[in-house]
Amino acid sequence: MTPPLLAEVSPPESTVPETSVFSAYELNAAYDELFSSDGLPRPHYAALHERLAHTSPDDFRRRKAMTDLSMREDGVGFTVYRAEEGIERVWPMDPVPRIIPAAEWRRIEAGLVQRITALNLFLWDVYHEQHILRDGVVPARLVLQGGFFRREFVGVDVPRRIYVHICGTDLIRDADGCYLVLEDNARTPSGVSYMLQNRQVLKRVFPALFNDYDVLPNDDYPAALLDVLQWIAPPAAAQPTVVLLSPGMYNSAYFEHSYLAQRMGIELVEGRDLFVDANRVWMRTTRGPRRVDVIYRRIDDDFLDPLTFRPDSALGVPGLVNAYRAGTVALANSIGTGIADDKGVYPFVPDMIRYYLKQDPLLPNVETFRPEIPAERSHVLANLESLVVKRVNESGGYGMLVGPASTREQREEFRAAIEANPRDFIAQPTIQLSTHPTFVDGRLDGRHVDLRPFVLCGERVVVTPGGLTRVALPKGSLVVNSSQGGGSKDTWILADRGSAEDRPERGL
Amino acid sequence: MLSRVADALYWMSRYLERAEHAARSVDVTFQLDLDLHGVLADSVDTEWNALLALLRMPSPPGIDGHVPASTLPRWILVDGRNPGSVITCVNRSRNNARSIRGSISPLMWRELNKLHWRLADPVMQSRVAESPHDFCEETRIGVLLFHGVSESTLTHDEGWHFIQLGRYLERAEKVLRILGACEILLDSGDAADLPLSNLRWSAVLRNCAAYEAYRRLYISRVEPERVVEFLLVNADFPHSVRFCLTRVVDSLAEIAGRLPDRCDDEVSRTVGRLLSDLVYFDAADLDGERLHDFLSDALARCGRIGSLLQRQYALV
Repeated sequence: MTPPLLAEVSPPESTVPETSVFSAYELNAAYDELFSSDGLPRPHYAALHERLAHTSPDDFRRRKAMTDLSMREDGVGFTVYRAEEGIERVWPMDPVPRIIPAAEWRRIEAGLVQRITALNLFLWDVYHEQHILRDGVVPARLVLQGGFFRREFVGVDVPRRIYVHICGTDLIRDADGCYLVLEDNARTPSGVSYMLQNRQVLKRVFPALFNDYDVLPNDDYPAALLDVLQWIAPPAAAQPTVVLLSPGMYNSAYFEHSYLAQRMGIELVEGRDLFVDANRVWMRTTRGPRRVDVIYRRIDDDFLDPLTFRPDSALGVPGLVNAYRAGTVALANSIGTGIADDKGVYPFVPDMIRYYLKQDPLLPNVETFRPEIPAERSHVLANLESLVVKRVNESGGYGMLVGPASTREQREEFRAAIEANPRDFIAQPTIQLSTHPTFVDGRLDGRHVDLRPFVLCGERVVVTPGGLTRVALPKGSLVVNSSQGGGSKDTWILADRGSAEDRPERGL
Repeated sequence: MLSRVADALYWMSRYLERAEHAARSVDVTFQLDLDLHGVLADSVDTEWNALLALLRMPSPPGIDGHVPASTLPRWILVDGRNPGSVITCVNRSRNNARSIRGSISPLMWRELNKLHWRLADPVMQSRVAESPHDFCEETRIGVLLFHGVSESTLTHDEGWHFIQLGRYLERAEKVLRILGACEILLDSGDAADLPLSNLRWSAVLRNCAAYEAYRRLYISRVEPERVVEFLLVNADFPHSVRFCLTRVVDSLAEIAGRLPDRCDDEVSRTVGRLLSDLVYFDAADLDGERLHDFLSDALARCGRIGSLLQRQYALV
């Protein structure tokens, strides 16, 4: 497809200048969030397009610099480790927001609610009666032998029957703009603080952008999270003490831990601040021990309790798991949720939705091949060049083969590995991901993006209007992970009232 | 409050006070240098090496004995290998703050973080070679801003009082050390050296941010005994040892939730006794030998207060 240049296709009545930051914008096979395939801005982007087109590259540079400075001064960042030395990286945000219209968001929201509901029912089921396994809807072997299945938790009743309280689901859009679920993050998903921070910073550096739109605030997330955490407190605790358990300041997501603890007004604790006595959890304070009722833990299962899981872990709290089992303390997320976002189980989530909810899935999965099935294995092995192959027990962009970008050696390495252990892999067609205008090298250019909305499950399921849009900054790259050089965008969910232009009385 | 949080607040504050103090003394020494080097041969090296000893810092790596003065501003201010340098102290303070970000106000974190980045700026650091003044000023303003922000944005509860403990205990120790180092000046009361003595004692005052305050109180030449008395026992000046210890006593009482004179723990008793020694200070103790004993005893007691604090509040 010949990439149309914007200047050539702009309608005569547009006030977009001849040359603007959009002048060299290229469209390709991927779905572009701002431009439709004829090169015109989509209706919900028109006002933003108009305003950006009148913004000079210098002005953009200045605002980008302000963005970076704001992030730096607020200490918003993550830590990257290289040769013993922790390097603090400033959180990269692109000042061009991503916009999702109300109707589109309603569909996404309903799909996410459906999904987390089914995942929680699935987890309760596999840790109790295991109907879904006995009915053969999900292969029993896949679950029971999965690395994330916690045998120790079979038969344990978790508070309010909720396993996944906080879920971050990664969505992408295919060439037709259809939203697909790439993966669920049902263990300790991160990124929500960056979603909140991006909004705060964009309001500071580019307030004018907000004038043309009714953007739903996303700021309620910490309060909604606290509601969930208090909802699962042991019944005996009238005024439950809620804490956030972090591995400490050297963890790459530490900023998020401290940010959320502060926004909720709860104590941020490390493993060494807690101890278990008589099957209850206590924290060490300057006035002696104090009871802890609910722990929002940002430590993986494996490190939670050296008595139950990894004995060499110094991050956790000895005895915590027994206290949890006894019901004297609640954990969010629960232990053992890893089996729900296991890449091997992922292909069956639509089946879970049909099985438990008797509904059709609203958000489809990405088509997924399982080399474990002989027919699919031969398809995968024959098409390594065009597929993305993932190891089922890895995340964060590691352990992946991106077929079109791979070398022959890499493909042969994966071929051998797949043949040796077919159940350790899944394969998916290479989806281009949608592109979004992003400020690079003094102009706007299309970069691939995904979307991670955040879902909370307590007394009811709440989807925060917004999400983290991650951007793969190198041209053509499909890897959006911040550990691999990804950036981010503020993500706007529009109110149902349409754009401000329809409402001349705004401000009165 | 978590013991770990109390500990981090305390050290965040102590390191910041330490940084401010080192920055101020470099600035003062640099100015003193410009005045002295024409008058006294070798004075420059002597002053700077005395400062290094006063700050209890090691010599730069690879240098034994006398350190060339020209290397010292950088070593004391911006060298990360120096465990007591301003940059190291600000770093440690920031790391403590970072580990408990949720327990201080966002503005406090922001000010401390901004200070860290301003001091880490290579341009700012390179200017130290010509004059350390800007760097020192930046440090002092940053620390003052931080405390101003904390004063008006953080609830004055237990945590805030741990910040005060760190700040005033560190300050009391520093002032005691400065006074300890100028005992020798007290005896060399040669009348011919009057202008010189004036300069030196002014520097002592400036080291304690006390020059103007002293001037307002005593309208005369800077007189050694008065300087010592002022810095030890003045009730109202924020850098006098007595003032600092009064703050420590008050904060300890607030933390324990009782009246300041109802001491039922060892740390409060220890601070209280030292404070009353200052309140009922005998001017006869200003004499050489006795002053020496008084100062070193006070310093030892301050050290003991620090370790008692750790024990009392199970600070890690």
